[in-house]
Amino acid sequence: MAEKVISYRFAGLDQTLSQLNREDCAIIAGGTDIMVLNKSHRGVLPKISKPIVFIDHLSELKQVYQHHQNLHVGACCTYSELLEHPLIPNVLKKAMKTIAAPAIRNRGTFGGNICNASPAGDMLPLLYLYNAKLLLRSAVGERVVSISDFIQGPRRVQRLSNELLIEIILPSVLEEDGYVVFEKVGNRNADAIAKVSFAGLIRIKNNRIQTVRFAFGAVGPTMVRSKDIEKNLVGKPFPLTDKDIAKVVAAFDQIIKPIDDHRSTALYRKTVALNLLRYFLSLKTNQLN
Amino acid sequence: MSLKDISTSVPKKDHKGKVSGQLPYISDETVENMVYGVLYRSPIAYGKILSIQLPNFPEGYEAVGAEDIPGPNYVKIIKEDQPIFANEWVNYIGEPIFMLVGKDLDVLHRLVDEIKVEFEEHQAIYTLDEAIEQKSTSACLASYEFGEDKEIISSIEQGAYQIIEEEYNTGYQEHVYLEPQGMLAIYQDDEIVVKGSMQCLYYIKNALLNALACGDEEVRVVQSPTGGGFGGKEEFPSLMACHVAVAAKAVKKSVMLVFDRSEDMVVTTKRHPAKLKYRTALDREGNILSMCVDIYLEGGANAGLSSVVLQRALINSAGVYKIPHFHAKGYVLKTNTVPNGAFRGFGAPQSFAGMESHIGHLSKLAKMDPLEYKRKYLVQQGDPTITKGKFHDPILMKEMIEDLLYTSDYKKRKREFQHFNQHNHRYKKGIGTSLFLHGCGFTGSGERDHIKATVKLNKSKDDKVSLKISNSDMGQGILTTLCKIVAKELDLPYEEILFPYPDTKEVPDSGPTVASRTTMIVGKLLERAAKKLKTQWQTGVEQEVIENYVHRQMIPWDEKTFTGDAYPAYSWGVNIVEVEVDTLTGNVRLEKVYANYEVGKVIDHMVMKGQIDGGLAQGLAYGYLEKMTSKQGKIQQKSISDYGPPTSLDIVPIQSKVFDNPYADGPYGAKGAGELTLIGGAPAIQAAIEDALQTSFWQIPITPEVIIESLWKKEGDES
Amino acid sequence: MITFTLNGRVVETDAPATVRLLDLIRDEFKLIGTKEGCGEGECGACSVFVNGLLQNSCLIPIGSIAGANIQTIEGILETESFKLLDESYSAAGAVQCGYCIPGMIMASAALLSKNPHPSKIEIREGISGNLCRCTGYNMIVDAIHLAAKKGDGLWQKK
Repeated sequence: MAEKVISYRFAGLDQTLSQLNREDCAIIAGGTDIMVLNKSHRGVLPKISKPIVFIDHLSELKQVYQHHQNLHVGACCTYSELLEHPLIPNVLKKAMKTIAAPAIRNRGTFGGNICNASPAGDMLPLLYLYNAKLLLRSAVGERVVSISDFIQGPRRVQRLSNELLIEIILPSVLEEDGYVVFEKVGNRNADAIAKVSFAGLIRIKNNRIQTVRFAFGAVGPTMVRSKDIEKNLVGKPFPLTDKDIAKVVAAFDQIIKPIDDHRSTALYRKTVALNLLRYFLSLKTNQLN
Repeated sequence: MSLKDISTSVPKKDHKGKVSGQLPYISDETVENMVYGVLYRSPIAYGKILSIQLPNFPEGYEAVGAEDIPGPNYVKIIKEDQPIFANEWVNYIGEPIFMLVGKDLDVLHRLVDEIKVEFEEHQAIYTLDEAIEQKSTSACLASYEFGEDKEIISSIEQGAYQIIEEEYNTGYQEHVYLEPQGMLAIYQDDEIVVKGSMQCLYYIKNALLNALACGDEEVRVVQSPTGGGFGGKEEFPSLMACHVAVAAKAVKKSVMLVFDRSEDMVVTTKRHPAKLKYRTALDREGNILSMCVDIYLEGGANAGLSSVVLQRALINSAGVYKIPHFHAKGYVLKTNTVPNGAFRGFGAPQSFAGMESHIGHLSKLAKMDPLEYKRKYLVQQGDPTITKGKFHDPILMKEMIEDLLYTSDYKKRKREFQHFNQHNHRYKKGIGTSLFLHGCGFTGSGERDHIKATVKLNKSKDDKVSLKISNSDMGQGILTTLCKIVAKELDLPYEEILFPYPDTKEVPDSGPTVASRTTMIVGKLLERAAKKLKTQWQTGVEQEVIENYVHRQMIPWDEKTFTGDAYPAYSWGVNIVEVEVDTLTGNVRLEKVYANYEVGKVIDHMVMKGQIDGGLAQGLAYGYLEKMTSKQGKIQQKSISDYGPPTSLDIVPIQSKVFDNPYADGPYGAKGAGELTLIGGAPAIQAAIEDALQTSFWQIPITPEVIIESLWKKEGDES
Repeated sequence: MITFTLNGRVVETDAPATVRLLDLIRDEFKLIGTKEGCGEGECGACSVFVNGLLQNSCLIPIGSIAGANIQTIEGILETESFKLLDESYSAAGAVQCGYCIPGMIMASAALLSKNPHPSKIEIREGISGNLCRCTGYNMIVDAIHLAAKKGDGLWQKK
């Protein structure tokens, strides 16, 4: 005895977008987030009330290519596919490896994870660091939006109901002359939700900081990043003085406001976030390679 | 395959069915005329049920509650305080009030959501601290006290150089058996058959006889292949069995009750959180003059087996040490939270964690290496136990410790780590040890007075021998090990000995599968039965041999005075663990794990290795990885990942060795091993973390949060 | 109607698109080797192959596997790979309660067909999504390592 479930699985993107233009649907890519979020009991259908549109088979959403200075990654590429792709930068692969476990990575999609907009989303700190842009398309047009504008809060993204996330656009040259770190802190070494995550990028020229960026995950409703703090560091001599390091840490101390929950404590999250930041800022020239 | 030496490993009896996935566990079964059950559970922690409003049920859907119980409304165990279906007072969030049965689970869940129950909420006791503060007699579910005279201790304390007081806390531990709890009642006019995932057939049968107020022939219990137990399927399944059996009788259909993982995480029994208080008098050199231990166990909403858990915790409260002028007392306190129960170790893990921690801290005051300090107090053969029993048998601990020090290169590693830590800012390395034992068999006079185990060996006309015992293989391998014992005695190939899944219609009560008793007690009985069968063997004739438990008189156990030999035998262990701590994140990484054990005689090397690897993984994780919390009476971790049991990437290979020390009353000299291996994990990892960070902790699990807070405080103190 | 291949046979079902593949396999096709341990993709007991890739069937709505090639443990029982894993798991004493084992076997086969000679760490990564509570993993790692050694040349991408 089953309830009526309406679902669509079109052969092509255009038909899919047309359907989304007609009615508000629930989008399922890999399903690894949505099937958990809407989980019901054993033997009971997941609690999804809208009609469903399956998209993870659409080849238009699985393209990975370079165009001018940009890397375009299809929203429905699975993590396993991206881990094997030569165009994906190593630091992104490092972050992907920390996601869940092999079976989840075989199914979970890059775009699905972004649209899920979990405060602890593993790819998000790096995507913010790289000022990633998102290509959204509907039956009536397309637009590009920055990731920091797209993600508005936990599980809230700026996607209109007739739009699909098509691609994630990243600058293709990420690590040249720059040093990038990503650290995910979880409760165990696999299948762990991040309690704190940190991504940092630094570019040195003539012993001075040319570019520096920081992004923190799992310590707020969305990623924590401050272009002001970053700007104030540009031009400073590298390695940084203890005074400068302390100033940056103090500045982030003001804006990182984590919470207590069933996974961890606010004190832990903040202390560890600042520890990782301080460690990154204290790196010496010979440690950046 | 005839077994030259019993310890030689053999292919497991149940390998094929398990590796192919075709061996059916209870949720893999369906029977004719079967409906599912879904429980309606209390949303409040403490209060009175005022009114119940049920929705309209479609045809074929019914509610089963207290009024459908033919017998009294409690699950028969020790106390009569656990209702089958709560109908007056509710005592914890998740307590079953009634069950809806019907064909479709989605309909059942929708109906459950429409149920409206009105409660009169009362002030609940949510934590152990609250229960201790309230000091109410109604909250005390059990208590014992024994040991040195308090006045003598008082006078010793007055002459002492210093008195050290420590309070130590241990957390919940959840079993996370891979197979969630499941029970099926098969309805027949003249007999209800209850089948499911279980450790103790006769606990369940006795609970059913009580609840159904029926004759012995009218109820039958059969064990299904059980996907892990660890104590979590010791007493808890009796409640589910009563639910399905009462429902089956009421609706005259077979009823299947299987838990979702998220349900199982939140409402089934867990390891008792504990608070242990130590008060130790020391002389100027840091030697122990006297010690008082107070243990508080958080019982949850009903007594269950808590009194026995407390007994074992108290009996182990001095660890492996001969402590002068030792006094102990303990309490199980009621809280309006999920009732706690059996979990591998059964009170001993809490005590050993606390005692090893305390003694480790005392060693720092005495400015001695912890292991060196511990060795000063190690018990020896002939020493009295703290309950005025005796360590009758040879103890190999000295040898085991020396061997492990050598294997692990302990002294050198310790020096290397000290050097490493001086030059390394972010990562710190440490090495820690634990010394521990486990009493094999039921506590006190349980075997003699309560269990009175009986085993049968049956030989068919065509000379096929079957084991008839009520013990369950839940993965620990008794289908293999017990058959090996019988095969060796009868000089028959092991593959030909049969051990069908126990059925109370066919098997006598050989006791529950708990307390590390199965190999030692039941195995011994089987060894004797097989010896008897061999001498009486008649080819082509059906025969049956029965053996009953014979109690060896030692120093008799007296529960009132809490004195005597608490256990007939002890198994022993030494662990050494190396860790690396990331001081930026508080994460602990296991580097090396060494373990030496003595369990009398190993019945199968691989089965024993499986117990070592699995038990120690659980024990280590209890010390630093697994965390479960309760807030306002509600368990906060509903998913496996939130709770954090180890994955394959969290564990390292364990270098272990088992020493022989045959025990006269064990089959081939074997004692118990199932729980021993868990006990040493948490204390060893605490010692290693303390060594790495040169600091002390007073709780487990030592999570990254605890470490970061400790480092943060230390930094604050230093600046 | 949703049509797909199950263990080499083309099958179809009129079950709704959001039914979990796990439930379809067990309830409609009566295959019991794929088990439910958590329902959230965290334990691996429900592991199946979807177009040759290891996935958790408790997270897969059947609407998304229309036309796909699904294999459960029953679908690999007759293969050389399975027989070798069976022997290796037995030789290594890796099976205790057995509930995680079909999933572990699937993960082992998936790992070895991609990486025929994995290091011990790669083995641990390969089974990092399969929870075992009985064995502490070490004997399972040994079993897979043994299968890799014995199966030289056997493990090819199928």
